[in-house]
Amino acid sequence: MSAISATAVAEAPPTPEPAIRAGSGSKVLAWMVVFGGLIYFFTPLVATGQRSFFAIRDTFGFEAYRRILTDPTFIDTFTLSVVNAVLTIVLSLIVIVPTAYWVALKMPRLRSVIEFITLLPFVIPAVVLVFGLLRMYGPPPLSLLNSSTSTRVILICAYAALSFPYMYRAVDNGLRAINIRTLTEAAQSLGATWPTIIWRVIFPNLKVALLSGALLTFAIVIGELTIALYLGQHTFGPYMADLVRNKVSEPAALTVLSFAFTWIAMGIISYLTRRQPSSKKRGKR
Amino acid sequence: MTGPSVAAKRRRSWNWVGLLPFFVFASAFLLGPAAILLYRSFVGPDSELTLANYQGLVDDQVVESYWLSVRISLMTAVIGGIFGFLLAWAVIYGGLPRVFRSLLTTFSGVASNFAGVPLAAAFIFTLGRIGIVTALFNFVGFDLYDNDFTLYNFWGLSVVYMFFQFPLMVLTITPALEGLKKEWKEASENLGASGWQYWRHVGLPVLMPSILGTIILLFGNAFGAHATAYALTGGNLRLATILIGSQISGDVLNNPGLGYAVAMGMVAIMAFSIIVYTVLQRRSEKWLA
Amino acid sequence: MEGLIAAAQEEGTLTTIALPHDWCNYGGVIEGFKAKYGLDVNELAPDAGSADELEAIRANQGSTGPQAPDVVDVGLAFGPEAKDEGLLQAYKVSTWDSIPDDAKDPDGFWYGDYYGVLAFEVNADVVENVPTQWSDLLDPQYEGQIALAGDPRVSNQAIFSVFAAALANGGTLDDAQAGLDFFAELNESGNLVPVIAESGTVASGETPITIRWTYNALANRDANSDLADIQVVIPEDGRYAGVYVQGISAYAPHPNAAKLWMEYLYSDEGQTLWLQGYCNPIRYEDMLSRDVIPADLAAALPDSTGAVFPSLEQITAASELITTQWDTVVGANVGGG
Repeated sequence: MSAISATAVAEAPPTPEPAIRAGSGSKVLAWMVVFGGLIYFFTPLVATGQRSFFAIRDTFGFEAYRRILTDPTFIDTFTLSVVNAVLTIVLSLIVIVPTAYWVALKMPRLRSVIEFITLLPFVIPAVVLVFGLLRMYGPPPLSLLNSSTSTRVILICAYAALSFPYMYRAVDNGLRAINIRTLTEAAQSLGATWPTIIWRVIFPNLKVALLSGALLTFAIVIGELTIALYLGQHTFGPYMADLVRNKVSEPAALTVLSFAFTWIAMGIISYLTRRQPSSKKRGKR
Repeated sequence: MTGPSVAAKRRRSWNWVGLLPFFVFASAFLLGPAAILLYRSFVGPDSELTLANYQGLVDDQVVESYWLSVRISLMTAVIGGIFGFLLAWAVIYGGLPRVFRSLLTTFSGVASNFAGVPLAAAFIFTLGRIGIVTALFNFVGFDLYDNDFTLYNFWGLSVVYMFFQFPLMVLTITPALEGLKKEWKEASENLGASGWQYWRHVGLPVLMPSILGTIILLFGNAFGAHATAYALTGGNLRLATILIGSQISGDVLNNPGLGYAVAMGMVAIMAFSIIVYTVLQRRSEKWLA
Repeated sequence: MEGLIAAAQEEGTLTTIALPHDWCNYGGVIEGFKAKYGLDVNELAPDAGSADELEAIRANQGSTGPQAPDVVDVGLAFGPEAKDEGLLQAYKVSTWDSIPDDAKDPDGFWYGDYYGVLAFEVNADVVENVPTQWSDLLDPQYEGQIALAGDPRVSNQAIFSVFAAALANGGTLDDAQAGLDFFAELNESGNLVPVIAESGTVASGETPITIRWTYNALANRDANSDLADIQVVIPEDGRYAGVYVQGISAYAPHPNAAKLWMEYLYSDEGQTLWLQGYCNPIRYEDMLSRDVIPADLAAALPDSTGAVFPSLEQITAASELITTQWDTVVGANVGGG
């Protein structure tokens, strides 16, 4: 089958994305769906925005934004969280991608077990998780929590664990869309070792899936609250929560700002990813 | 392949090594705390080992909580799945301008974890008693809250949950949607099939395992959600996660052991859901054979 | 004392937990402490409840990192529980004798720090007629406007609100049932909404009436004065006062810093800073008799004569009753679906 599909790709006329053309009926449906989505998503954001412009009663202004942007804690916590997010994404990719690949290739019966484990973060309350980690890694002989840096490492590992459900699902979906058996056999017949296969064959073919997983992980880390609080880490989540408790316009402004910043950051990541040549072909080998 | 020999068995047993990093990491940061959770579910208020916490699980209140959590999770997972799928389909195959695709992807990244207090606040500003949509309705003479509408109940919370369920579906199903081979669509067109027939007989069946898997993800996502529900309804909607929180945290001397037992119950429900999903998924994979 | 200061400065940091800056002016207290002794203060989880604070001590046994709390500020009921579990270490500050006996543990494990009275916090931009007593709340003009400041199964302010309502409706300190009945009526009439009121929701008008400690309400009034006109009214009947207590963790990574912190809190300077946050410091009577309270601060405190302090037993009994009976007696039917 691999030989046939390879030639099919080679002989198929080059088509621009998306290759599957839409009839006019589906176009109407598509526009309706997008329009509906737009209304649903933007109304609460507009409402929040509206609040953010009225820091002073009945006075339209950017006061709330000024307060936030000149607050050094905002810059510090946001930067810290962004760095944490990037580190978490890397760690999560390193653990999940080879695992998902290996399970799909060699031990498909174990899929359910792995899936169950990756879904555990949903049923372990954050509060329980953090206190569990404190108990496990705090006391001697491990004593991994005696400094701010080592605690931060534990935090990032915990965040990577929290990202498992999303990362695994995205990667697994991506793997199902490509023929890993054929790719592996082809690579092996060319003399590739496992690390090479994973890094130079699997990873590039999963670009879209990895992007999805990375975006989801990024969002989790930026907003996470409970674990950071009890591990004494001054990240963005606690800063945001503090503001929301006490004020009205500042948190609204903060929501708008963090939405905008995060959206831009993700746009950059997405743009960089799509520029790679291998992303132009959609998994047809 | 080779015959059922000792060599084959040896090869199989080496496969486990490939999963070692995952298991080590999962044990360190998930299974470990889960084990502590399990242990503490057997501890009573006076630090004695007991089964009383589990007996508490058949209490009406607890059963109600589980049922409420399952209902809202199932509903937002299915509806979130359907509409999320439609959104992803629309920007990939719907003939819309290309830029919509990346806009939706990046927006979904942001929105998928917009949860907790800021999300609840955003919806309160929209549909709360002083929300702008509420005000809009009032403007045209229709008082929402007088007519038994409220944001602060099961339906209101479901509407709020969609804000992260839709994007989650979009992001997670996109890799699968993208992976649909264009040859299939071309072949089906050559055979005279309409767009809808293509999806019904080729597209959806192929995607079904991924769709099911993603719906389970949405289910789990809603099932384990706590911050948003608490921020919106303040513990009045007795979801399982809220029940757990009220036993473990707070200002009152409660029974943490019961909280842990309820959490273990959630683990069991999650495990059961995965079994159901796996069965459905195996069935759907047969369609591809 | 000099020895203590030196030892604390050697340790260099203090780790606190559950101290929001606008609660009793803890922001000012922490800054004052840092400025006076040159120590750093590492603040954890400002929103933590009392149970979380104790759990943080338990979970961090044997750990000396920045996430292990040195000192805690918890509800009265948690003092004895923490002592029994061995989570606290004893320390009697130099001003120990001027702390009222009924607000401290004789062995020095926990000691009352401040108290406040429950008051109505009202957004006067939204609410035309500010209620002045408990029975006012039942008036139909307040439909959909009243919310508790917490979940009555979990939060002190919410539970004590119910207790206070009992006092105004024929109940006693030994029986809080009348409070549950009052709130059942409030819920039936539609005046009570099942939302948690916070500073933000009062200021935005979403929950224009709530019941909180005077110090929280007054702090919000000041903080959001450019957004809303918030008024704080101690009800004429049913005046309820509550005490919080301090303690040092038995596993504190910085025990000397912790002791120095206590000395600071219980000095006239520390107590006055709390006063600035509208809290009644526990040594108020003593300071009054020595005439060390600034007149303007004393005047800023609302008049709370007639407020009653329930005993530990009464609090435990009432909490038990309210947390278990809330769903059945008041039970806002939000099962929905």
